[in-house]
Amino acid sequence: MHAIAYDEIHDEFFVPVPFPQAILAFRGGASGEEAPVRFIQGPRTGLAYPIRLAVDPVHNEIFVPQGDKVLVFPRDGQGDVAPLRVLGGPDTRLDSSALAVDPLHNLLIVIGELPGSDVETDHILIFNRTDQGNTKPKAIIGGPRSGLRNLSGPFTVYPPKGWIVLGDRGEGGLASDVAYVGVWSVEDNGDVPPRWRIGGPHGVFQMPRGVTLNPKHQEIIVSDKRLNAVLTFHFPEFF
Amino acid sequence: MAIHSKSATREHRKRSQLLAPLGVLICAAAAVLFSGSAGEDPLALSPGAAAGPARLVSVTPLPLEPALDAPLCEWMPASASGSLVASWRQERRAAMAAAERTTADFPDLQPVRMIRDPYAAYSAVAVDPVRDEVVLTDENLFQILVYDRMDSTPPTARMTEPKRMLGGLQTKIEFQCGLYIDPASGDIYAVNNDTVDTLVIFDRNARGNVPPTRELYTPHGTFGIAVDEEAREMFLTEQHDNAVVVFRKSAVKDESPIRLLQGNRTRLQDPHGIAIDTKNRLMFISNYGNSHRKKPGGSVYLPERSGEKENWPVREHEPGSGTFSPPSITVYPLDASGNTPPLRVIEGPRTQMNWPAHLAIDVERQELYVANDMGHSILTFSTSASGNAAPIRVLQGPKTLIKNPTGVFLDTENDELWVASFGNHTATVFPRGASGDVEPLRVIRSGPLDEPALGIGNPHPVAYDSKREEILVPN
Repeated sequence: MHAIAYDEIHDEFFVPVPFPQAILAFRGGASGEEAPVRFIQGPRTGLAYPIRLAVDPVHNEIFVPQGDKVLVFPRDGQGDVAPLRVLGGPDTRLDSSALAVDPLHNLLIVIGELPGSDVETDHILIFNRTDQGNTKPKAIIGGPRSGLRNLSGPFTVYPPKGWIVLGDRGEGGLASDVAYVGVWSVEDNGDVPPRWRIGGPHGVFQMPRGVTLNPKHQEIIVSDKRLNAVLTFHFPEFF
Repeated sequence: MAIHSKSATREHRKRSQLLAPLGVLICAAAAVLFSGSAGEDPLALSPGAAAGPARLVSVTPLPLEPALDAPLCEWMPASASGSLVASWRQERRAAMAAAERTTADFPDLQPVRMIRDPYAAYSAVAVDPVRDEVVLTDENLFQILVYDRMDSTPPTARMTEPKRMLGGLQTKIEFQCGLYIDPASGDIYAVNNDTVDTLVIFDRNARGNVPPTRELYTPHGTFGIAVDEEAREMFLTEQHDNAVVVFRKSAVKDESPIRLLQGNRTRLQDPHGIAIDTKNRLMFISNYGNSHRKKPGGSVYLPERSGEKENWPVREHEPGSGTFSPPSITVYPLDASGNTPPLRVIEGPRTQMNWPAHLAIDVERQELYVANDMGHSILTFSTSASGNAAPIRVLQGPKTLIKNPTGVFLDTENDELWVASFGNHTATVFPRGASGDVEPLRVIRSGPLDEPALGIGNPHPVAYDSKREEILVPN
């Protein structure tokens, strides 16, 4: 599984499973062989290889990146349901590998390479949450000053402050000495460096992947693939 | 006599009101800076002396442009819409912020907690009967570990040290889950699963952080390996594309497969383990049951390093074709290729299969062993089984120490059955044909008996359950 999202309003968690092309919703406390409470799957869904997702528990939607488009489903969708809307088209500049939703600012944040760009480094694209069709992003963060290179892991946002926090794998490969976790803002645009970088470059990370937050304890939690570990950082400045 | 307009007078007064306090501030700062006895450096510190109260040490004049010259209120044309102005303001704020932004770096920030299993987690096992060694892959710390076949960890010991170990970035070992030992040379073939997309082969004497003796670039997501020594062919299952690829046994680097078994009629559904019966010319594949249809003639997934390939699996899915099917074992002719349906399928609730991983075959007795991961068991089927067939034997129970077994190997030289349990840092050995809840003949442990195995393997995403204060880590 390459993504997971916990919905604290409804106490459920969601995972995409690419091989059977489905989105599974489990009870928050599910354990062992417990079946999902719902799953989205079928010809109307348009799901091809869902490996990532984001859940907006406020507006009750699930966002699934599918390369050059983003599919949006109802959070409580069951079975063979069509997307509520699809964001896609050449103007979107989507080559989406992961995404996150800020329900407070009503924004959709997507990361991936930028089709048509001269550089192969990753970018952060910011859309309105309800954008659909061939819509241009409101903002694109990336470029040499941004330092963004390989972002493919799942990431998260902190809506109260509008922070985007994600792991950069640096040069790629099996491990990178210049990997780090960086923080941008939903108000950023263009070639902007991060506001903070933690755990690197030349720090503890070798291949950061997923990021999540524990606001109550002011912690940033990161999975690292090469360390095969989950690391928790106390970083009150972020909160 | 000059005439000053009322507006000019107002403007002058406004500016004076702003500049006056600034002047006072500068004078006060200068007084502080230059106060003290003549000849004393007010900023000097005696070694070991306290720094004293806070002092102003420099003044930077405020810019006169644009802040003080600009009107205090922004001019807004009456015709401008609110959203347009808001957008302009946001852009201006962002541009100013971008120009001024510097990053606050905390590269040395250490985690307050780290969840990590410090011990090896065995995922696959194979025996070299010529040299009396057992080889295990460690999918937690990314190692290949070699022990004496007769090693057994005493109950009171923390672990058994391997006699030889391979690991490190140069080895290109990562999440390796399949294993084959060349009976003639003792060379170790290790299959990488989620990453690397490379089969790595090591000379049996290799140790430490060394490059592989040979590499073969494989499709993404290979799991099981079997070798037909007579035909000099190597078979690999490939999960993501529901395929079996066959290479020359000595294939290297960018070489294409010589055969491909893939297609919507094959019933390959997230294939994992593979066992071949060269005597009866059959191939057995274990499937988890996750299914989708491939787009005929669809695109393939090739890493940038590769050129054109023949017999490479199609990656492109038919959108919305996914289904959940029961786990199964599918049986094919050994030289099956293309969109060939299976000769037989073993599938159904009586089989007890639950994430069937690696397979091992007893050609002499015509029995098939299945490492049944989530069933915590080793299932034995007749090789002629079909349909909803029950296993003829089940090795399972607390005495067996089998927990999340992913690896199984039949050592026909010594009549022993090996099991690699990913769930508890153990490899266990049983007599060939063992059944029920029996103690193993020997146990090799990589960690203490009471230490839990965390089961972390490629922790890609992570989520926080705020209600239970728990971290969710899918693998």
